[in-house]
Amino acid sequence: MILNILFGLGVALFGFVLQTALGGINRKVIARLQKRYGPKWYQEFLDIFKLLSKRATSHGWIFDFGVIMALGGIIATAMFMPITNELVAFDGYDNFFIFVYLIAVGMLGMAMSASGSGNPLASIGVMRALTTMLAYEVPFMVVVLTIINITGDSSISMIAEFQQLANNHWFIIALPLGGIVAILALMGMLGKKPFETYIAPAEIASGPMVEYGGKQLGMLFIMHEITVFIEVSLFVHLFLGGAENIFVFLVKYVLVYTFVNLISNVNGRFKIDQVVTFFYKWPLLLAVSQAIIAIYLGWVI
Amino acid sequence: MANLELIIIITLGFGMLAYLLGNLHRTLGSVITILGSAFVFGSLAMYGYTDTLDLTVNYLPGVLGDLGASALSHYFALLVSFVYLMVAFFNPYYIDKQKYPALYSMLYLLSLVGVIGLFYTTNFLAFFFYFELVVWSSLFLIPLGRTRSSASLYYGFSAFGGFSLLVAILLMYSGTESFNIALNLAALSGTTKVFVFLLMMISALSKLGAFPLHIWLPNVLTDAPDPVTGLFSGGLEKLGAFVAVIALVRLGGVGTMISALNIHLFNYIIMILGAITIVIGTLMAIRQDDAKTLLAYSSMSNGGYILVALGFMTTTSISGGLLHIFAHAIASTSAFLAIGAVARQTHTTKISELGGMIHKMPITYMVYLIAIISMAGIPPMGGFISKWLIFQGVISEGFIFVAIATFFGSIGSFLYVFRPLAALFLGQELPEYKTSVKEAPLLLLIPMLLLSGLNILSGVVPNYILRYTNKILSELNIAQLNLTQFTIQGNNGDLHPLLIASMFGIGVFVAFIIFISLKKSKKVDLMDTYTAGNFIYTEQHLHYTSNFYAPLERLYEAYIDKMQRFYQSLSIKVKELGEVFKYYFFTYKPEITVFWILILITLLLWGDIA
Repeated sequence: MILNILFGLGVALFGFVLQTALGGINRKVIARLQKRYGPKWYQEFLDIFKLLSKRATSHGWIFDFGVIMALGGIIATAMFMPITNELVAFDGYDNFFIFVYLIAVGMLGMAMSASGSGNPLASIGVMRALTTMLAYEVPFMVVVLTIINITGDSSISMIAEFQQLANNHWFIIALPLGGIVAILALMGMLGKKPFETYIAPAEIASGPMVEYGGKQLGMLFIMHEITVFIEVSLFVHLFLGGAENIFVFLVKYVLVYTFVNLISNVNGRFKIDQVVTFFYKWPLLLAVSQAIIAIYLGWVI
Repeated sequence: MANLELIIIITLGFGMLAYLLGNLHRTLGSVITILGSAFVFGSLAMYGYTDTLDLTVNYLPGVLGDLGASALSHYFALLVSFVYLMVAFFNPYYIDKQKYPALYSMLYLLSLVGVIGLFYTTNFLAFFFYFELVVWSSLFLIPLGRTRSSASLYYGFSAFGGFSLLVAILLMYSGTESFNIALNLAALSGTTKVFVFLLMMISALSKLGAFPLHIWLPNVLTDAPDPVTGLFSGGLEKLGAFVAVIALVRLGGVGTMISALNIHLFNYIIMILGAITIVIGTLMAIRQDDAKTLLAYSSMSNGGYILVALGFMTTTSISGGLLHIFAHAIASTSAFLAIGAVARQTHTTKISELGGMIHKMPITYMVYLIAIISMAGIPPMGGFISKWLIFQGVISEGFIFVAIATFFGSIGSFLYVFRPLAALFLGQELPEYKTSVKEAPLLLLIPMLLLSGLNILSGVVPNYILRYTNKILSELNIAQLNLTQFTIQGNNGDLHPLLIASMFGIGVFVAFIIFISLKKSKKVDLMDTYTAGNFIYTEQHLHYTSNFYAPLERLYEAYIDKMQRFYQSLSIKVKELGEVFKYYFFTYKPEITVFWILILITLLLWGDIA
């Protein structure tokens, strides 16, 4: 059991290192896209460790407690995440719903801490983040419902193995409409443009994070990186057939994240109500038609 | 007390005693409510849980004495009497606001008698009697709060539900000439079964506050005295769930089978109603300013989950429904009590008038936090387990539209439960509460902490409860849920609640270690915040409370009053009909009286001729 826990913590650490490095590399990629030189690839590490070493201000115990709960919840979620078919900390218990709901504890912690800072701009950011969540989560869940209904298993690693079996395609190919919805939902989850309304640096002073500095901000950065790791890996396992070994996982992970980031950087930004109407129009329609096609008509490629 | 009949009679006696002592001193009467409900819960916990209740009846007259025990009735009776006990602790502190304190205490215990009788009776006539006893005694609890109008609303919907229950009972009686519940339910078939099912569901929906009979719920829960609100949400609403279990689960599938969906027609209709209830409850809860109204709509939406879960005839979803009844009762009672504790200190429940309560009432805040984590279905609380079980059914049956509603409700619940958290407890500490407010007294904290403990316990080791619901399932002839010591086996994968909870604990521990090993932060004032260059010195201007989800609310603002307007016009029509009757039958005008006398004489003469 202790080994499993250590392994789980290792997964969280791996996710943090991977995503922070990839985030730095992506900054360079985007810079090249915009004909700039860009920062060094390890710039994000420098930022985080600098923040952790600085003396910060605190707005009371809930401000600190929220940060601890946020990072704790996200670490706990990452501990359940499989990396390859074999590399799972708690085999058989990597249930899809754990990722959707346990991640929410972290989010709740962050939202609580941000509201506890007493800054209305932070509350506006939280409001927008929750509204965005209401928008992207429903179409995404309908697509995942279809997948679980087909595979008969809600364990992430089992779904990944199902796609690796002979005659089974990756779900992004088998359920093409659902795949489109999932990519859109992933962009919403990651807060990429056009769905980055809740961060919206130009309007609301960096959103929920407005009051943070020093170690609190550093911990929230770590939390953010691990959250991105969880969300992208979820996409890799659910739609891209998971990974037989860690090398395949890394390739798929890097490709997905870079792809989403590239799309994001040529987009503008939606207003928050536009995010909601957007997701409840086309993605939901696509998700429902995909579910009807796959479940009732049985047309799965 | 091991004898069920004596429990009922003694509780009745406690009610009388509460009235007499309440007249001497108001607090004394409310202390009796604590003792009375503690007596009921204690007896049931001791003998009901182990199923050793003595069912002999010597004193109760007629059909009222037809008592029987089953795991289902124990489950509900234990749960609701526990809620009664927890709420009773609040009575002494809120009794000063009552106009008729002695009456309040008596009615409180009287409704408890009704509840116990309802769960244990084996006779439909007694069932109706106890049902009405609960309605009537709780009816008079409501107007002791803010207004009287919501009491009439409650009575209107409850009477509708009660009378449809009566019609259903009489329909069954005409078939079997008996009022025995088990006998009647077994004898039903064909069209009568459909009618009985629909009538019973009307009464269940009206009690549960589900669409389209939900209008009373937010009004009543807002206007009732603070402790009674918790009672309604955690206890009395669950009577609707009990009737729903009888109608939906014990009657089995009703109506023609829809082969594509693999479900019976009327069960599907109920599930669709449940789905609509979830969506409406969620959308309405998001836009409320009063914390009590907000939680009332959340109760409504959770009632929808219970309907959806019971609509499936599968093991996982029915266990999920039964567990959800438990989890929601505990969570919503503790949330309402937390808000009630705040209301006691500040005399308001409006979110826009409150702020920064956490600094003076940290324990109440933690209680509310734990309650909403459970209500939003986030681990490691009980609400997560029950929602997970319900999702198992929804997903493996592939009910897409019901699924959309359940997912929407579960994500939407993050939005609305966060509002009181952000604006009422967190945010700027408003100057008017800086000095006057202090933490709730110990006697109020005890029930809140107990409920919080149960919230956590039901999420960490839910198998103790699920083993009990398995007993109910075997009574209802449904396959039992597969449980090991700590894991739950669903339709598509296992869940290990203890593992999730302990990993969460480890995660928080790691984060805590990181936090304390870094440099200590400097404590600054709440007003010392980034304001983008503006100079702001008043707390209110830095406190974001009203219209929290304005961009989202704008999207459905135009549709919200539709239902209310429909019922308003319906009530006008009913009133007009009443006027017509009044005009023709109950009048002082001589010409109309002469007219009726003439008609009567004509009829009499006619009879004579024939």
